[in-house]
Amino acid sequence: MLSNVGNFLLCLNIFLSSLIIHYSFKFLKSSSAVIFRNVYQITVIQSTLVLICFFTLVSAFLISDFSLITVYQNSHTLKPIFYKISGTWGNHEGSLLLWVIVLTIFSFLFLISSKNHPKNYRIYTLIIQNFLILGFLLFIFFNSNPFSIVIPTPSEGLGLNPILQDPALAIHPPLLYVGFVGSSIYFSAALASMITDYSDKSFAQSIKSWVLISWIFQTLGILVGSIWAYYELGWGGFWFWDPVENASLLPWFAMTALLHSLLVLEKRNTLYFWTIVLCLLTFTLSVTGTFLVRSGILNSVHTFANDPSRGIFILIFLSLMIIGSICLLFNKYKPTKDNFNSNSKETFILINNWFMMFYLATVLLGTLYPIFTDALSENKISVGPPFYNSVIIPVVIIFLFFMAFGPQARWIKSKFSNYRISLLIITGAILINFIISFFFKSYSLISNLIMISSVFLIISSFLDIFKKSNYNFSRIISHLSFGFLIFFIGLNHNFSIEKDFNLKLGQTKKIENYNFILEDLKLDQKSNYKSVIGELYIKNLVTDEKKILKPEIRIYNNPSTLTYEASIKTSFFRDYYITMSNIDRSEYYNIKYQEKPFMIWIWISVVTLSLGGCLSLFRNAKNN
Amino acid sequence: MMIKKKLILVLFFLNFYHFAFSNEKIDESKIHKNLRCLVCQGQSVADSNSDFALTLKIVVKDLINKGKSEDEIYEFLSDKYGDWILYKPKLNLGNSLLWILPYLVLLIGGLIILYLIRKNDKKI
Repeated sequence: MLSNVGNFLLCLNIFLSSLIIHYSFKFLKSSSAVIFRNVYQITVIQSTLVLICFFTLVSAFLISDFSLITVYQNSHTLKPIFYKISGTWGNHEGSLLLWVIVLTIFSFLFLISSKNHPKNYRIYTLIIQNFLILGFLLFIFFNSNPFSIVIPTPSEGLGLNPILQDPALAIHPPLLYVGFVGSSIYFSAALASMITDYSDKSFAQSIKSWVLISWIFQTLGILVGSIWAYYELGWGGFWFWDPVENASLLPWFAMTALLHSLLVLEKRNTLYFWTIVLCLLTFTLSVTGTFLVRSGILNSVHTFANDPSRGIFILIFLSLMIIGSICLLFNKYKPTKDNFNSNSKETFILINNWFMMFYLATVLLGTLYPIFTDALSENKISVGPPFYNSVIIPVVIIFLFFMAFGPQARWIKSKFSNYRISLLIITGAILINFIISFFFKSYSLISNLIMISSVFLIISSFLDIFKKSNYNFSRIISHLSFGFLIFFIGLNHNFSIEKDFNLKLGQTKKIENYNFILEDLKLDQKSNYKSVIGELYIKNLVTDEKKILKPEIRIYNNPSTLTYEASIKTSFFRDYYITMSNIDRSEYYNIKYQEKPFMIWIWISVVTLSLGGCLSLFRNAKNN
Repeated sequence: MMIKKKLILVLFFLNFYHFAFSNEKIDESKIHKNLRCLVCQGQSVADSNSDFALTLKIVVKDLINKGKSEDEIYEFLSDKYGDWILYKPKLNLGNSLLWILPYLVLLIGGLIILYLIRKNDKKI
C-alpha cells in the first residue's frame, strides 16, 4: 500500500517539476501575471507533496512495513522508535529523498523571499533549481527507489548498522544535507544571474542569507559528525582526515570563501565573476562529495552503503552540471577592472579566499590522488593525517595572522596605524605561549608557532570588541571562535595522555601516578543488544582523586555486530576516555586510557563559530 | 624601541629553548600513527587493537632497538607491505604532484593577488 502511495507521489512530483519548468519558460516569453501565479501555486503544491512523500516513507519505517525493500534492509521491529525514524535517512534511498526535500523547500523559500529582485532572475533560478530537482527525482525513481517492494514480504527486517544507532548520527545527516544541498539554491541563482545579467550588489544581497544558512548548517553538521566519531569510534580522536569527512569539509571551504567574497561584491560591487565561480564550486563539490561517498570508490570508515550504478548516474549528472556552468561562464565572462589597494579590506578578503583555495586544493588532491594512482599505475597509496598535518598546519600559522590583521583594514584604503598595538599583542602571545610551554610541557616548533598565532588572533579579535569604529559583532565572534578552536586543538594535541595496558577482573595496575582497578564486569541485556560493562576505578595517587568509568563491549543482534563503547567523563578542563576490548583466548581485557584536555572547549568553539553566522544572518534579515 | 624589539626577539627564541635542546629520540607513537592497519577500515596502527596492529607495534619496536631511523622503518615496511601502509606518502616521482600542487596553488593565488595590487599602485 505505502509503496503505491509513495510511487504515485514520486511520479506526481516529477510531473509537477516539469510543469513548473514549462510554465516558467512560458512566463519568460509572455510575462503575464496569471502564469506567474500558476508557477507560484505549483511550487507550493510541489513542496507540500514532497513532504508528504517523505512522511510516507517515515510512516513505513514507523509501522515496520517490510514489504518495502528499504525498510526491510534498514529496520527491525525491536529497534527503538527514535531509530526507526532516523533510519529513514540512515540509508541511501531515504537520504536522497531528504536531499530532494531540501532542494524543493529551498526553491520555494527562495521564490517567496526574493520579491524585491527582478522577476526573470527569480524565474531562471526556479527553472535551474527544478532541473536539479527533476534530475534527482528521476534518479530516485529509476535507480534508488525507496518505495520498491520485496516479494514475498519478509516477516522481520535486517536492522540498522549499530554504529548508526546513535543520537548524534540521527541528526548529523539532516544538518549536513541542509548545508550541502542548501548550496544548490545559490548555484541556480548564480547561473540565473549570468543569464539575466543581474550582476550587481543586489545579486549579492539576494543570496547572502542562503549562503549563511548553508554555512551554519554545514558547520554544525561537521561538528556533530566529529563528536560522533569522537565517542563512537573509540579512538579518542575527533578528526581523521578520512575521505568522507573530507567530502564534507570541501564545500565548507568553498562556502567560507564565498561568504567573504560576497561582502566585497555587496559593498564594492566588484569580484562578481569570482563570486559566481565560488557559488558554482560549492554545489559542485557537494555533489562530488556525494558521488565519492555513494559510489564506494573511497576506502573509508564511514562507508555504509554503496553501489557502482549509482556512481555512474551521479557522475553523469555532475559532468552535465560542470560542463553547463563552465560553458555559460566562458560565454558571459568579461574582464573587469578589479584593482585593490594593498591595505584594504578587499585585499584581506582576497587573502582569505586565497588560503581557502589552498586548503581546498590540498584536501581535494589528498582525497582524489589515491584513486588516480590506483587507476593509472596500480600503485595503491594512502593519504592520511600525517600528510594533511604537514602540508596544512604551517600555512595555518600565517593564515591566523592575516585573520587577525584583516578586519582592522577599511574598505578601499587604510593606513597601518596599529603597528604598535600589534607589536604589543604579539609580545603578549609569545609570553603566554612561553608560560604554557615552560610550566607544563615543551612541544615542537610548529606547535609553538600555532599557539602563538592563535593567541595573537584571540587577543586581536577580543580587543576589537572595544573598538567603536568598524564594529561587526558577528565577525568578531566567528574570528574569536576560530582562534580559540585552533588554540584548544593545539593544547589538546600537545597535552593528551594515552596509556594502553591489559587487565583482568579484580586486578590493579599502577602506571605513573595512577592506579587502575578493574572492579567489576556486568552483563546487561537491552532490546537490541547485549553488553559487557566493565567498572574501572581510576585513582590519582597525587591528588587522591577517584573516578569510575564504565566502558562497554556491545553485541548487537540485528545485524549481529560487536562494538566497543567508550566511557567518557567530561569535565571543565579535560575528558577522561576509556575503551575496553576483549582479547581472544584470554581472560584479560585490553584497556585504552586517554586524557583529552579541553575537549568540550573545542566543541564550544565550533558552536560559537556558527553562532557568528547566525548573528550575521539576523542582521542581514533585519537590514532587508 | 630597539631595546623593546630585542627583548621581544629574546623572548621569542626562549620559547624554543626546550625544543632546541630536547634530545633526538624516535617517537614510537608518531610512527604508529603513520601506519595503516591493513586489516581494518581506515584505522591507523596506533588506534587499532587488531592482531595485525599489535604485531606491527612489536616489529616497529624491534626496528627501533636495532637502531633504525624513522625513514628506514618506513622503507622496510613499505617494501614488505606496499606503499598502501604509509599514511604520509613518500616524496617520489609518482607522488610529486600530490606534494607540489597544493603549494603551486598557494603560489599562483599569491601572484594573482600581487598582480591586482600592483595594477592599483601603478594607477596612482
